[in-house]
Amino acid sequence: MADYNLVKGHDIRIAGVPKNSVVEGKAPEFVALKPSEFRGVKPKLMVQEGGHVKIGTPLFHDKTNSQITWPSPGSGEITEIKYGPRRVIEKIVIKLSDEESSESFSSYNPQELNNLSREKILSALLKGSIFPFIRQRPFNKVPDPDIIPRDIFISGWNSSPLAVNLDLALRRRLPQFQAGVDILNKLTDGKVHLSYNENTVSDTLLNVRGARAHTFNGPHPAGNVGIQIHHISPINLNDLVWTVNAQDVVRIGNFFLTGKLDTTLFVTVGGPSVLNPVHIKSRLGSKIEYLLKDNLSEDENRVISGDVLTGTKSSLEDFIEFYHSTISVVPHETSREFLGMLRPGSSSSRYSLTNAFIGSRQKDYSFNTLKNGSERYILPIDTWENVLPMDIIPNALYRAIYANDIEEMEQLGIIECDEEDFALCSFACPSKIDVGGMIRQGLDLMEEEG
Amino acid sequence: MLGLLKKVLDKYRENFEEGGKLERLYPIYEATDTILFSTNEVTETGPHIRDSIDTKRVMILVVISLLPLYFFGATNIGFQNSIAIGLERSNWENFWFGFSKILPIIIVTFTAGAFWELLFAVVRKHPVSEGFLVTCALIPLTMPAGIPLWQIVVATTFGIVIGKEIFGGVGMNIFNPALMARVFIFFTYPTKISGDKVWVLGPDGYSGATALSIPAAELNQDAFTLLNNFGQFDYSWWNMFWGWIPGSIGETNKFLIIIGALFLAYIKIVNWRVMFGAVLGLVGTALLTNLVAPFSSNSMFTIPPHYHLVMGSFLFGTAFMATEPVTGCHTNQGRWIYGILFGSLTVIIRSINPAYPEGVMLSILFVNAFAALIDWFVIQANIKRRQARYAQ
Repeated sequence: MADYNLVKGHDIRIAGVPKNSVVEGKAPEFVALKPSEFRGVKPKLMVQEGGHVKIGTPLFHDKTNSQITWPSPGSGEITEIKYGPRRVIEKIVIKLSDEESSESFSSYNPQELNNLSREKILSALLKGSIFPFIRQRPFNKVPDPDIIPRDIFISGWNSSPLAVNLDLALRRRLPQFQAGVDILNKLTDGKVHLSYNENTVSDTLLNVRGARAHTFNGPHPAGNVGIQIHHISPINLNDLVWTVNAQDVVRIGNFFLTGKLDTTLFVTVGGPSVLNPVHIKSRLGSKIEYLLKDNLSEDENRVISGDVLTGTKSSLEDFIEFYHSTISVVPHETSREFLGMLRPGSSSSRYSLTNAFIGSRQKDYSFNTLKNGSERYILPIDTWENVLPMDIIPNALYRAIYANDIEEMEQLGIIECDEEDFALCSFACPSKIDVGGMIRQGLDLMEEEG
Repeated sequence: MLGLLKKVLDKYRENFEEGGKLERLYPIYEATDTILFSTNEVTETGPHIRDSIDTKRVMILVVISLLPLYFFGATNIGFQNSIAIGLERSNWENFWFGFSKILPIIIVTFTAGAFWELLFAVVRKHPVSEGFLVTCALIPLTMPAGIPLWQIVVATTFGIVIGKEIFGGVGMNIFNPALMARVFIFFTYPTKISGDKVWVLGPDGYSGATALSIPAAELNQDAFTLLNNFGQFDYSWWNMFWGWIPGSIGETNKFLIIIGALFLAYIKIVNWRVMFGAVLGLVGTALLTNLVAPFSSNSMFTIPPHYHLVMGSFLFGTAFMATEPVTGCHTNQGRWIYGILFGSLTVIIRSINPAYPEGVMLSILFVNAFAALIDWFVIQANIKRRQARYAQ
């Protein structure tokens, strides 16, 4: 047990924070899995349009590692397999049948779990298509199951804007969470690390055994698992660790206890455009329309799968992504202000981490999609450094990536980084530089060159 | 009215966009358009929301922090002139006299600066950088009021073209462009920017020593006594602080400079570490020179630290030149070293360099040159920490 009090970072005070209450979501008619969102995966379909699938039926596998398969988030008929440019499989859409059924695998009682071997657990995870819920660092992608991770990290605290309160999502899930942690413990020779916040009250998180607990306090991104790894036990050269979302730990545990894929997903809908921001008990891969029904102000909006910093541009017709549990909606704005740069500013029109505007850090600010400026050269006034709680020099790293200097990137610690941890840098940058995107570019280059 | 303006801009937009008749001039159109109306560019990927700050706002705030210096500078020029010609004038009259002298300098600087910035933006196809506003606002403040206008044109050209654009524009430059402009005049036309004759607009041949040149001219004297007994101008500490002394247009009033510096530090545009380090370096080195003063004939060694602070352009350089983010250090540890080195070098050049009693300009350019090296050491330390961990 260790306490980490991080100072750098920022909690964006965006309007539309989800209430701390859960509503039962409307049952969606369609769910989907989106193969294109999995980094580095070359999907090979295992089903056809018109075919019928159950919950947990493998839909596709990775061409380079065919033992990794992805599960169907619903039971019903495959109504559409949508291809994007260059025949990239964008999404596999399933129309849910009234009576859903699940693929069934071996189940165990909690005592039996401790006697399972690593091989057996791994083959169960792969056979049950549960494995993709695990991701690795560096590179933040689905790992190679044959490599034993040094440690496994779970963040039990979401610090990102409008994110799910895990106290709510994990309520009364201790048995499943415990089973999940036990399973993960078998998969690594190191430790399972679980981090939460000083304000965490969840029984599930506080009472689980077998995980090394850490308390992380401070503004976002202190809840990001990448930041936590950096402080608990940083990724060294040739290290490989796994990360699992807390809700997916429950899913893994439940899979071993029942033999079935639990499709429950607690989702938040929030943001300035959402009339009633709230937690919704929904399911994996739900069509976003069902989550936001009658809950939007009528302006033109940007619907985002994920949080406002790292999420993906989406729409009501689209589906929530595999690892996301937030739907954010912000107004899409294109108006222009006369002599905007000379205005003193006010709490309703400006939000800044600098003090360059009067009253610019008010609560419940109604953000929109305006960039508020054009892209310029790097202006090194520490806007990046002040929101990055890592022993990494973002400016130097950015330049190394810009110059495609792999050796220097590595020396400056790129393997400890992921774009989601740098999203606040892009948010705060006066030159509107996409720092996270550059980090991703560097990681891709590292991966390519081995 | 605003609607009309917007309509006019939108109407001609297509001429400047790709394929339009005036495609090449797009940077100029874009600059005009976005200065008048804030841009309506929207985010495409995450982060979908952005901070309200942009470089335009940053630069315009720096310019605003310089405005009081212009007002005071104009008044002081009139005041010094009224003493030189022995005429009683009110502050307003002094201001208008000074204003009439510096307005041409401002106009010429901005015209020359804008010309080069726009030309390079068009030729090199980069967006017009708002940084030139700050450069052009700084250049007149570093000049004596009597500087010939054609020299201003040449110097601004040198500052913008050689100081900045040949490196690829703002963000890539090594030296502060405004200082490059000043150093150009300093080395090519020294009679117009150094010596005792240029600091006051007076009758021909009127001479007035600056505070720094007084102890520089004497051997084995105590600077404190020399300054306080100087008859021609009041070089007491407080008068130098309030700035009613001869000097470059913007450097004399330390009070307004400190206000500007605090403002910029408060809004988080400049880094207080550089300024704090600079004062630390200056005071520390001045104390050292005071210690060796009894063993030397150099009167400059006897200047007390608090006099060093208000003499010459040290505070002006600290607040507005050394803190320039691009040409300074980019790491916080580096900024401390950078600041201390700057302050310390200022005293060393002032005390030891026999040719010229002011050292601020040269020491800033000197630490500019070293900024990347200082950062390199900080970055290497970061790398070593990581490698030590890998080795375990």
